[in-house]
Amino acid sequence: MRSRRSRSGGWVGALTSTDHKRIGVHLGLASFAFFLLGGVFAVMMRAQLAEPNGQLVSDNTYSELFTMHGSTMIYLFVTPMAIALSMYLVPLQIGAISIAGPRAALAGFWTWLAGGLIMQSGWLSADGAGRAGLFSPVPLSNGTNTPGVGQDLWVLGVILAASGMVVMAGCVLVTIARRRAPGMALLRMPVFSWTGLVTVLMVVGSFPVLIVAMILLYIDRHGANIYSGFSGAIDYQDLFWFFGHPVVYVMFFPYLGAAAEAIAVGANKRWFGYKAFVASVMAFAALSMSVWAHHMFTTGGVTNQYFAFTSTALVIPAGIEYFDVAGTLVGGALVLRCSMLFALTFFVQFLIGGLSGIFVASPVLDYSANNTYFLIAHFHYTLFAGSVFGFFAGVYHWFPKLTGALLRERLGKIQLAVMIVGTNLTFFPMFLVGEDGMPRRISRYAEHPGWATLNRLETAGSVLIAVGVAIFVANVWVSLRHREPAGDDPWRGHTLEWATSSPPPPLNYEAPIPPIRSYAPLLDLREEAADRERREREQAGAPA
Amino acid sequence: MTLIALISTRHEYDALFSVYVPIALGVFVVIVIVILAAVLRYRGRPPEKAARWSEHNGLEAGYALLLTATVAFLLYLTFSAEHRVDTVSARERPSLTVDVTAAKWEWQFSYPRYGITVRSGTVGRQPLVVPVDQAIRFRLASADVIHSLWIPQLRFKRALIPGATETVTLTFTNAGTFTGQCAEFCGLRHADMVFTVRALSPAAFASWARAGGRTA
Repeated sequence: MRSRRSRSGGWVGALTSTDHKRIGVHLGLASFAFFLLGGVFAVMMRAQLAEPNGQLVSDNTYSELFTMHGSTMIYLFVTPMAIALSMYLVPLQIGAISIAGPRAALAGFWTWLAGGLIMQSGWLSADGAGRAGLFSPVPLSNGTNTPGVGQDLWVLGVILAASGMVVMAGCVLVTIARRRAPGMALLRMPVFSWTGLVTVLMVVGSFPVLIVAMILLYIDRHGANIYSGFSGAIDYQDLFWFFGHPVVYVMFFPYLGAAAEAIAVGANKRWFGYKAFVASVMAFAALSMSVWAHHMFTTGGVTNQYFAFTSTALVIPAGIEYFDVAGTLVGGALVLRCSMLFALTFFVQFLIGGLSGIFVASPVLDYSANNTYFLIAHFHYTLFAGSVFGFFAGVYHWFPKLTGALLRERLGKIQLAVMIVGTNLTFFPMFLVGEDGMPRRISRYAEHPGWATLNRLETAGSVLIAVGVAIFVANVWVSLRHREPAGDDPWRGHTLEWATSSPPPPLNYEAPIPPIRSYAPLLDLREEAADRERREREQAGAPA
Repeated sequence: MTLIALISTRHEYDALFSVYVPIALGVFVVIVIVILAAVLRYRGRPPEKAARWSEHNGLEAGYALLLTATVAFLLYLTFSAEHRVDTVSARERPSLTVDVTAAKWEWQFSYPRYGITVRSGTVGRQPLVVPVDQAIRFRLASADVIHSLWIPQLRFKRALIPGATETVTLTFTNAGTFTGQCAEFCGLRHADMVFTVRALSPAAFASWARAGGRTA
């Protein structure tokens, strides 16, 4: 019944399909559209800041732009894209023919999309879109200080988007718990699926807190004085950041997993240190649920030393991951395709974000960096220079599986080069201007030695990033119009998704899946075949 | 005059920064070199040549220990500095108390001992005047939303949250004119919530205060 419906054609059939692959692709496409929209907001902000005392947009518009840029990127692009990757790939990687709770997953997608559209519909309201910032602290975001329907739509949009994501993440979680193929023990799950597992665990563990915080904020905005006084302000921030820090790792893990798969396959070598890696992502996830108040060091309302301790301790699992990258590369047979190059760039650029993160984990250093462009540089190095590059690594790696067609390598390398220059030109000067004291979220800045030059560089970089993204869109267009057939397994993949057709059939596998003896079952088969061949050669060549 | 040096947030920040930065740069350079070297050395080999080992738990455990030691070292430095900035400074005997009231979109600095009040932001440009090398107690309050007192020269900021008065003790070690700004988005004209700090020698400050806050 279900399979027949998912095969039914037409728009209605496609949009109501309960096939996890279709839901994943729809979620990914919608998220990517929001990425382009959020990017437009970013370039508009950079245009305003290109010169001191910019006059391009009003103060009010600027506050809508940064609120909606951050909200769009986090609630509507990086997080749902992380779930989209998990939704599409995890069932394939663990040998499941479908996702658990397919109708719930479909409902989750539509709920999330409704949330995104409601949030953006604020632009059409008389008061404009949400404008109290990405985390809309109280009392700024209450009905007195930010009145109007635009902010209400923002709150409702966050509630719906987060609810949809919890449901989708829950479906992936149950799929991992209940639908692994025979032989697919937890410790044989591919590296990407492990990152998907910790991601959905964190979504299920932390997003409900955001939903509650936002429901209370909505009620607060309509007359009930819920978040009152000093403690109300701190309570709101505790609730928000209890979501707000885990989500940082939700926006990191699947991209880490994608980059890891791209590197292992590109190196023709098993991912190094699998068990240590699994332990490190679990430790990462656990720690990241207990670091939230490092966003509140300057409030005087939290125990700074505890949160400095947990935040700095993240160095240990993060360091393990870098060790595993090096261990995978050493001794490999590397093919430097786009997926591999994006993945390597992900690790190098993310390192800048990670190392500057150790900085802001220290309260004394954060007393300076907090709410300055230093912080903006730090988290854009993790989210953009890191996660988005990991996302592209994943796209170049799995696009042939999704579509049956290869992306153009040459265009991909041009995109990579343009984006590396653009990204570092945009975000590195922010460290300098932030260290020099430029706060975030200001629509204008006075003449200040060096600031104009640095801001102009950042603006130029943001245009280059836009060019890079345009090259990517062109690449997808060209590659789908003039298809270069990929075959089932163009890269000598390691994991089960490469053992089925491209794109996979509705129930994922038509042939029986290969035996699963490790986290790289297809590599096992290749190694066994090579061993057999060598033995036969030796026997044939041995003197009689 | 004082035997124990006053805590300077700027000095604490600079000292910590000068340890964190070289470590971060060193780690970055080492990791980039390792990745680059591995890529150059192992690229373009036929797939059959790829090594089959995929684990070295001893090496990895040793590496984790090294990371743990680094974390312990950084936390030791951070906790010591944080203790001085947040706890020891609060025990200093201030020579001056300034009441800071933030509101959309202005700063009001009151000197209760001298009966002086200056205002800055959308309402004016009167500087915050302070003596150098003396502990100054700032009592921070907000009249409406969360603001943040940010003086880049001091490498220090603190949120002003409505509903409570927080106290910080700060010392300026350099005379001069500095900028200050609200660092927590507080609504429409947040960008205009700026002020100037004039740090004067104690003698110049005293004459400024005697003159009732007219510029010395």
